[in-house]
This record gives sequence, structure tokens and C-alpha cells, in this order.
Amino acid sequence: MGSQRTWRVAALVGATALVAACGSSSPSSSSSVPTQSGNITAGVIAPFTGPAAQFGKLLSAPCFAATDLINKAGGILGKTISCSAIDDTGDPADAVPNVTRAIATTTNLDIAVGLESNTAATTVPLVNDAKIPIVTTNGLVAFTKNSYPYYWRLTPSDDANGAAFAVWAVQKGFKNVAVVFQNGIGSEGNLPGLTSAMPKLGGSLGLQLTIPADAASYSSEVARVINAHPDALIWSADPQTTATFMSEYKQLNNGSIPPMVTATDSLTPDFFGALKRVVGVTYVTQDVYLVGSSFSQTTAAFNTYKTALQNDSRTSAIADVLSAVGPPASAYDGINIMALAMVMAKSTVGSYYNQFVTKIISPKPGAVVVSNFADGVAALKAGKQIQYVGVIGPVVFNQYHNSAGEFAANIFNPDGSASRVGSISGTQVLGLL
Amino acid sequence: MQLIIEAIGFGIATGAVIALGAVGFSVQFGISNILNITYGALMTLSAYIGLVLINHGINAWAALAISAVAVGAVSVIYHRILLAPLVRRGTRAIAMIIVTVSAGTILQYVIVAIAGPSSQSYGEQSGQTFHFLDLTLSFGQVTIIVLTAILMLALHLLLTRTTLGKAMRATSSNRTLARSCGIATSRISDIAWFISGCLCGAAGVALAITTVSFDFSLGALFLIPMIAAAVLGGIGQPYGAMLGGMIIGISSEVAAAVSNPNYKDVVAFVILIIVLLVRPRGLFGAAWSSRRLMEG
Repeated sequence: MGSQRTWRVAALVGATALVAACGSSSPSSSSSVPTQSGNITAGVIAPFTGPAAQFGKLLSAPCFAATDLINKAGGILGKTISCSAIDDTGDPADAVPNVTRAIATTTNLDIAVGLESNTAATTVPLVNDAKIPIVTTNGLVAFTKNSYPYYWRLTPSDDANGAAFAVWAVQKGFKNVAVVFQNGIGSEGNLPGLTSAMPKLGGSLGLQLTIPADAASYSSEVARVINAHPDALIWSADPQTTATFMSEYKQLNNGSIPPMVTATDSLTPDFFGALKRVVGVTYVTQDVYLVGSSFSQTTAAFNTYKTALQNDSRTSAIADVLSAVGPPASAYDGINIMALAMVMAKSTVGSYYNQFVTKIISPKPGAVVVSNFADGVAALKAGKQIQYVGVIGPVVFNQYHNSAGEFAANIFNPDGSASRVGSISGTQVLGLL
Repeated sequence: MQLIIEAIGFGIATGAVIALGAVGFSVQFGISNILNITYGALMTLSAYIGLVLINHGINAWAALAISAVAVGAVSVIYHRILLAPLVRRGTRAIAMIIVTVSAGTILQYVIVAIAGPSSQSYGEQSGQTFHFLDLTLSFGQVTIIVLTAILMLALHLLLTRTTLGKAMRATSSNRTLARSCGIATSRISDIAWFISGCLCGAAGVALAITTVSFDFSLGALFLIPMIAAAVLGGIGQPYGAMLGGMIIGISSEVAAAVSNPNYKDVVAFVILIIVLLVRPRGLFGAAWSSRRLMEG
């Protein structure tokens, strides 16, 4: 009896050791650098179904662009990288099982991209616990200070965006604004920055409403806003909710709608199309201001990014609109940074290459400034230090792995593409918080 | 006060759409005793049929009529092919609900596969508004209120003034007894499913006109308020569903006018629960049953 038990224990220990040895990552024989067999997957964690499905398209596109260019440059340490859609549906209740399953079943899921505001609070801890470096586009204020080592954000937080809305509204002469946000953790995150900044700029918030998504009617809410006589609406809602609300506004206000200031998250074909269909193209192209993080559209990095979007059949149709939007551009840069960190670390294992991320973007004396993956790999192979400065410009992560930048206001063109109509200083924005 | 009066007007408009769907749902349940959750997906189907027709240049109100008839026909086929055989085999009520949930989910995803996940619209609405007392209503809202009133009146006349209506009520009340009295209950059932399907289809297009922008989740989102309206009025009771729809529509709009709009649906459901605590069969449950028995 005792002998049998000893054998069982020994067999269990042996089996455990064998499983550990056959695991996807293992220390190499020559050093402590963990290695991994097989190609690399970048998981795009975003809504691909449901009302926010457009986010999935928007965040997949930069992944396609980045991975196309990385693979053309020979891949990462000889491995190819591909994008895999992980549908979080925009709903935390669906996101948790979907992301948990993806982590368990996706081979070599070495980068996670997206994790937008609707679901980030639930998905970030899951991905972080799996030791997968995250390039997130969420704007949640809750992550302004966080303790997740695998979390990297290259976009401004929502409260900074809210303050930027206020700056632009006042700059345009809209002193009395009504705030209408769809309920949801993402859009409501703008509110603290907005309420803090507006009085400091001499403006006032006449009415603040949060509305449920996709209701049959918003007539009563519209009546309340009309009674407040706002100069402009500070707005955040999905395309469908926006179309319903604005259509009712136009009907109940004798065909007139005040200008709208909203986030560049709405710079999507779906938002443009939904609004244009119900209130007409003139309003959409003249009175809708989309404010968000900004970057130069004349740099070599931007041209490379835009060309990659245009050359890929999966993204070519939305290349013009997409290239102007901050979060997708930051996702593109984030993937390049992670890929270069893998090359520098000589490992594609997240728990190891994660420590090299800051080394890729930090300015150093004598470092070669590179704006794409291919140049970065060449410099690293030549034994040089590098600083990646991509589409969104220099990235400076603070101790919480957050990096904000400059802001700009855009308007839609009649074809749905965007044009910049003004810029907003990041320093001014941060000073208003 | 002005806001509350306006909200009551808006609530009547919203309630009209809910009532339209709730009455169809209630008729279906009354005649076949099946809680048909596929109803929501059929409303979505109707909205998309309407979209195709409007995109081909057909007037929105004509599209509503055509879509309603089309969904009426689909409902009869759906009942005949899937639900009736399951009922004949003695499938339990809970299993029937699961079947209708499954069929609704399948239909919803078929719609997504064909039409895509993006939001759709019937286009820019007429800017015409109507002012009555302190109420301001859009042309679309007024039209839907009038349409609902006409359809409800027609249904009332059908149920109370025609032989077919009596046969429907008899079948609803006691199917076996109705059959033994010579009523072709199977045919009556088909007609009831067609009528309720038409109401479902009309509600789908009316909802798409009201919301202006919609996607594949349209019916699923509004199924719960419609079921709530039907339950509030007394499930199986068309008049109860009409009243239930109005109560839910008006209470949610008034709530949106005077409090946080996020709670507009909550207020409606609180009223539903309170009413059911006081009258477990709903507002019209017991009274209508007695009258129906007397008239039958």
C-alpha cells in the first residue's frame, strides 16, 4: 500500500516536471532568457459584435498595419506575427469569459491590444495576470495610477479628454454647454475633467445628463436640453444613440441643433454615417467637433503607417479616417514598441520582454531615433541603442506606464474622412485638472 | 410642469409603439399559450424588411404595411413548422420558451450575417411638428399614435363584433371545448398568429421609425418592455396590453423628464412589480377573463 502511494507521488512529480519542461516557454540552455516555439499572436481585445462593434474594426486595422510591416521586415526573431480578434462585446459580462478563454486557448498570445474603456476594468487584470504585455487604448481615470506591470497606455486618460473638450468649447465661444453622456464607464470618465476645467475657463455647464443607450425615445431628455438653451453640446454616445437623440432634437427644436463637441472615438464611419443619415451632412461636417489626442500627419512614421493601412485590403477602405485618430495610431505604435522590445530582449515571452519596453522609447545619449520596426531592428542588430518615435511622437511613460500627448480638434469631411481644425496644448489641459 | 406635460405626450408616443407590440404578443400568448420570445427577432426582421423596401423607393408607411404582412406570414409558418408540432408532442412550457429563445437568437444572427452589425436608418425624418395644448410631437410620433389607435380599434372590432373574433376568443378560452363546438381551432390559430405577426411586424417598423437608427438588436432590446406591458395588463389580454404599454411608455418618459434618465426603465418596472403585487393577474387579468367567459 505504502509502496503504491510512493510510486503515485513519484509519477505525479515526474509528470509535473515533464509538463513544465514541455511548456510553451522555457529557459534556454545558454542563458536565462526564456524562449518560445511557434509564431506570435497579437490579440485585439475589443468589441467585434454589439453596438460598439466598430471599435473592433478600428483597433484591428492598426494591428494589421503593424504586423504587415513587421512580417515584411523578417518578423520578430524569425517568427511571424498575426492579429487575432478577441471579442469582448463591449460588455464586461461577456468580456471576462471571452478573454479568459482566449488567454487559455490562443497559442503564443504575446501582446494584447485594445482593452478599451467599456471593459478594461475587467480585462486588464486578467491579461496582466497572464503576464501578457498590454497596449491599451482605454481612457479610464482609474488606471491613471495602477499597479499592473504589464499595462502600457499611450493615450490620454478620459478626464484629460474632458478638459480638452472644455478648452475647445470655450475657444469656439461656447460658454454655456449642456453635457449629454451615454451611461457607461468610458464616456462618464470625461466628466471630472470637464467639470473641473469649464469654470476655470469662464464657461458653465448648464445641464448634465446621462442617458441610457439605445432607448426607443429620448424626447423627454431632448426637451430638458432644449430648455437649457445651450450654446453647444458636449457629447458622448454610440452612433445609434446619437442618431436617435439628434434626430429628435432636430424635430423638437424646429430643425435646429446646437454644435457638438465629442471625442475622436466618434471619428468612425459608423458614427458619421448614422448621424449624416438623420440630420444631414451639413451639420455633421460643420458643427461636429471631434477632440482627442493629436499627432503630426507629416512625419515619416505617419506616412509609413498610413501607407500600410492603404495597402492592406482589410483596412484600405477606412485608411484615411483611421490614420487621423489617436487610439488606433497609439495601438500601432504600441505593437511596434512591443515587437522591438522582443528583439532587444531576444525573447518573445511577455514576462521577460516586458522589462525592455521602456528601453525602446526612452531618449538616451547616442541612441538612434527610429520611426518603424525595420529601422529599429537594423539598429539593434548593429549593436546600437534606439529610441522609437512613432506616429504619435515621443512616448514618455510615467511610473504607472501612462503616456499622454497633445490634443487636437477635427471635423468630418463630406466623404467621412477628417480634417484638423485646431490644436490644444497638452500642458494647458493637464493644468486644468 | 411644462416638462411633465411634454413628457406625457412623448410617453403616449412611446407607449403606442410598446402597445402595438405588446398587443400582438398578448394575442399570440392568449391563443396558443406559448411565450414566444422569437417575437423580438421577428420585429427586427420586420425593421430590416422595411429598410430594404424604403431603399427601393417605397414610402415608409407603405413599407410598414408590407413588412407587417410579411412578418405575419412568417409567424404562421414559424408556428406551423416549429411550435405547433412541439406542442402536439407535449413539449413542456419551459422547453417551449427555450425553443423560442433559440429560434430568436438564430434569426438575429442570420440578420447580422446578411445585413451586418452596423446601425441602419430609414433616413432623415420630416421636421414637421404638431403642437396641441402644451404638447409638441413630431410627425412620426403622431402618425404612430394614430396608426396604433386605428389598429387597436380594428382589433377590438374584430374580437367583439365578428364571428372570427368570437371563435378566436373561444379558442383562447378553451381550445378543446371550442373544437367540440365545431370551431376549426387550427385555422383560427393560424389566423391569430397571422394577426399577431402583423402587429409584431408593424411594431418593428414603427420602432425603427421612432428610434431613427437601429441595428440587429432592435427587437431584443424592446422585447422586455413589451412583455412587461403584456404582463402588466394581464398576459393574454389585448386591452390590458394596450393599457400596459401606455403605462410603461408614459411612466418612463415622465421619469426621464424629472429625474436621472438612466432610471427611466427602472421606474416602469417598479410600477410593474407594484401592480403585480396588488393584482397578480395584471390590470385586466380577472375582469377580462370573467367577461370573456360570459360573452363566449
